Amino acid sequence: MSLTRAVSLPFGSRSSSPSDNEDEPVLLSPNLSPTKPPKSPNSRAAALQRRRLRTTSFTENVQDVIHKGKRTIYTAGRPPWYDTKGELKEAFVIGICGGSASGKTTVARKIIEALDIQWVSILSMDSFYKILSEEQHAQANASEYNFDHPDAFDVDLLVQTLKRLKSGKQVEVPMYNFTSHSREKQTKRLYGANVVIFEGILAFCDERLIELCDMKVFVDTDPDIRLARRLSRDITDRGRDLDSVLKQYMKFVKPSYDHCIAPTMRHADIIVPRGGENVVAVTLIVQHVHSQLLQRGFKLRTKLAQDDHFDSDELPKNLHILKETDQIQGIHALIRSKETTRDDFIFYSQRLMRLLIEDVMSMLPFSTVTVNTPQGFVYQGKRLDVKQIFGVSIMRAGEVMEPALCEVCKDVRIGKILIQTNMETHEPELHYLRLPKGIRGHHVILMDPTVATGAAAIMAIRVLLDHDVPEENIYLVSLIMAQQGVHSVGYAFPKVKICTTAVDKILDDNFHIIPGIGNFGDRYFGTEP
Amino acid sequence: MEPDLISNHQSTSELCKEGDVGGDLQSPTHINPLTISVDMKSDHQVVAICPNNFPNHVTVIRATDQMKELQTYIRDVDTTRSDFRFCADRLIRMVVEEALSSLPYEGVEVTTPSGAKYQGKKFMKGGTCGVSIMRSGEAMETGLRDCCRSIRIGKILIQTDTETQEAKVFYAKFPADITNRKVLLLYPIMSSGNSVAMAIEVLKQHGVKVADVLLVSLFCTPFGLEHVTKEYPNLKILTTEIHPITPNHFGQKYFGTE
Repeated sequence: MSLTRAVSLPFGSRSSSPSDNEDEPVLLSPNLSPTKPPKSPNSRAAALQRRRLRTTSFTENVQDVIHKGKRTIYTAGRPPWYDTKGELKEAFVIGICGGSASGKTTVARKIIEALDIQWVSILSMDSFYKILSEEQHAQANASEYNFDHPDAFDVDLLVQTLKRLKSGKQVEVPMYNFTSHSREKQTKRLYGANVVIFEGILAFCDERLIELCDMKVFVDTDPDIRLARRLSRDITDRGRDLDSVLKQYMKFVKPSYDHCIAPTMRHADIIVPRGGENVVAVTLIVQHVHSQLLQRGFKLRTKLAQDDHFDSDELPKNLHILKETDQIQGIHALIRSKETTRDDFIFYSQRLMRLLIEDVMSMLPFSTVTVNTPQGFVYQGKRLDVKQIFGVSIMRAGEVMEPALCEVCKDVRIGKILIQTNMETHEPELHYLRLPKGIRGHHVILMDPTVATGAAAIMAIRVLLDHDVPEENIYLVSLIMAQQGVHSVGYAFPKVKICTTAVDKILDDNFHIIPGIGNFGDRYFGTEP
Repeated sequence: MEPDLISNHQSTSELCKEGDVGGDLQSPTHINPLTISVDMKSDHQVVAICPNNFPNHVTVIRATDQMKELQTYIRDVDTTRSDFRFCADRLIRMVVEEALSSLPYEGVEVTTPSGAKYQGKKFMKGGTCGVSIMRSGEAMETGLRDCCRSIRIGKILIQTDTETQEAKVFYAKFPADITNRKVLLLYPIMSSGNSVAMAIEVLKQHGVKVADVLLVSLFCTPFGLEHVTKEYPNLKILTTEIHPITPNHFGQKYFGTE
C-alpha cells in the first residue's frame, strides 16, 4: 500500500530511501534533465535535490553547456509556454494509474527519459493523503486504516492543485508526513511544467481528475508480481514483518484494487501491461505526447519581431517615458557612445536608473494623509499605499538596477529570473527563477535595462502572472526599449505599466536596438567579447 | 544657530507683516495674518501656495505623489531621524538632478556600439560650481557630489544676530575662478530670505553675476521668494514646495542637534 512506498528521487531507485522521512512525493525539478540521472541516488547532490522546496533550479547538466568561440552558452531553459498575446498554453497532463507496486513510477520515468524535454513535473497522489485524526492515526499504526480507498485522499485539493498546475500556475504541494499522518507546515512549490505527469493508485477515481488528464495510462501488472514486490519492499526495506504486510494486503490493498482501482481501467486511453519493461507502449505514448507538444509549440521571438501591426507609431497607453530634459539627453549621449569608459558608463547609467526608479515610485498608489509638524500646524501630504514592494530583475543585466531600487525603497524584496536566448531557435528560455515568498497580489517592479523584442520581458511577466501577481501591479522598468518591444509587451499585457527613459525606433535583423546602447550587461560588467 | 531657525511664531508673524507690505502677491499667495493664526489654532490645513505668481525665474518641481510623500516625511514630527535623512537625501537628489538639467548643454552626436548615430546633448563642463550656505546647505553637498563626482564646492557661513535679526557673514571660501562659473547655491530652507540675500551679496563681491546663480532649495516661503526676487530679479530659484510655513527643523534634525 502506498503508506510504505518510498519514492523520493525521480531517477534514483526506490530502495535507496529506507527511512520514513523520505516518503515524500516525487517532485521532479522541471529542468533537471532526464537524460542524465545522478550517478548515485545517495550522492550529496541527490540529497540536496530532495530537500529543495522549490522546484526550479540551476541546471547541472554538463551537456547543456556549449562553447561557441570564446563564449559559453547554457542551454536547456524553458521555451515559451504562452502565445504572442501572453496567454497561456495549457500543460499536457498525463495521468498514470495502476495498482500498488505496479510500476507507475517506472513508467513515468521511462516516459520522461524518452520524451527528452525539460520542464516536466510529477505530481504524486501520495502528497494528498488526508490528515488523520488521533483515532485513525492509531488505526494506521495497527494496520487497520485503509489507505487504498478514495476517502483517504483530499481529492478536492488534488483537483484544485492539478487544475492550477495544468494552467501553468505556481502551486503549493502539501508534504505528507507518513509517521504522524499529517501535513508538514512547509509545502513544496511546483512551477513551470510543459508536461505534468500525475500518478497514483486512484488517479482515475474522480471524474474531475479524469477530465484534467489529456492522456490516461493504466499500468496493468500481474497481481502476483505486485504482491511479490510489495513483500520485498516492505520487509526488506521497511523492516516490517510478513504477517502485518499480508494482513494489510488481504484486508485493504487487494479489495481496494478490485473494487476501486481495477474498474477505473475503462477510463484509460492506453493500458500498459508489465509496467516499465514495456518499451513498445512507452514509445507509443512518447510519440503521441511529442506530436501534441509540437501542435502547441511556436517560434515566439521571430514572430514577435515580424508582426506587422506593431509598426504603428502610436505607442500603447500603458507606456510611460521619463520627461526628456537636457540632463537626460546628456546622460543618454554618454552611455550610448561606444567611446565611453566603463567607469563613466556605470556612473551615468546608475544616475539614470535612479531617476527612472524615482519616477516609477510616483506611479504607485498613494493616499492622502495629514501629519503634525514641529511648527504646530497640520500638514496635508501623501503616503505610499503599498506595504511591501517587490523587485524582480531579469538576469544578468536587470541586476544592475537593483542598487537604484534599494536606494529608493529601503525594505524592498528582490527576486531574480534568468532568461536567455536559445542560440538555435532564437527563442527566450527560462533557466532560473527565485521569487520572494508572499509575492502574490503585491506590486512588482520588473527590471531589465534594455528591451528589444520584448520576448524576455513577456516571459518574465508571464512568470509573475503565474505566481498570482495582478497584471496591473506589474511595472516593467527599463532604460532603453525598442518600439517593437513596447508594442509586443503592450499588446500582450495592456495593464502592465511600462516605464522607460527612451524608445528607439529600429530593431535590426539580429534583434539589436538601433541606435541602442550595445549589450548593456557586457558593457556594465566588462564581459564584451 | 541656523539663520532661519527663528521660532515658528516669530517667523509666521514676521512673514505676515512683510507679506502685507509686498503687495505684489496675488490673492492665493496673499496671507492674512488673522487667517493663519485662526488656522493654526484650529489645526486646519494651511493652503499651499500657487507658484504661478512668481516670475519665470522661480521653478517649482512638478509635485509627483512620491515627492509629496518625501515632503510629508520631512514635515511629520513623528518621523524618525533615520527616515528623515533617508527621505531628505532622496528629495535633495531629485532637486539636484533637476538643477543640473537647467545648466547649459550643447547638441552632440555620438556613435553607439551598434555603429548607429545618436543625437544627444553634452553638458558644458568646467563652467559650474556649488556653493553651500552652512550649515543646512551642506546637507545638499552629498547629493550634488553623487551626480557630479568632481564638482568644486565653495562654502559660506552666515549667522543671524539673535538681537538685531541681522544676518552676518562669518566665513566664505570659493573656487578661485568663481567669477567665470555658474553657481548652484545650496540652501534647503528659505524662510525669511535674509541669509540667501546675504550670500548673494558675498558672491557679488567675488565677481559672480546674479544671473549666473541658481538657488537650489527644498522649501521656500512666499515671503522669502518675494523678498529675494524683488531684490535680485535675475536670480533663478528651484524648489519643491512654496508654503507659508517651512520645516525649519530641517538642519537640526538632519544633523541630529535638536
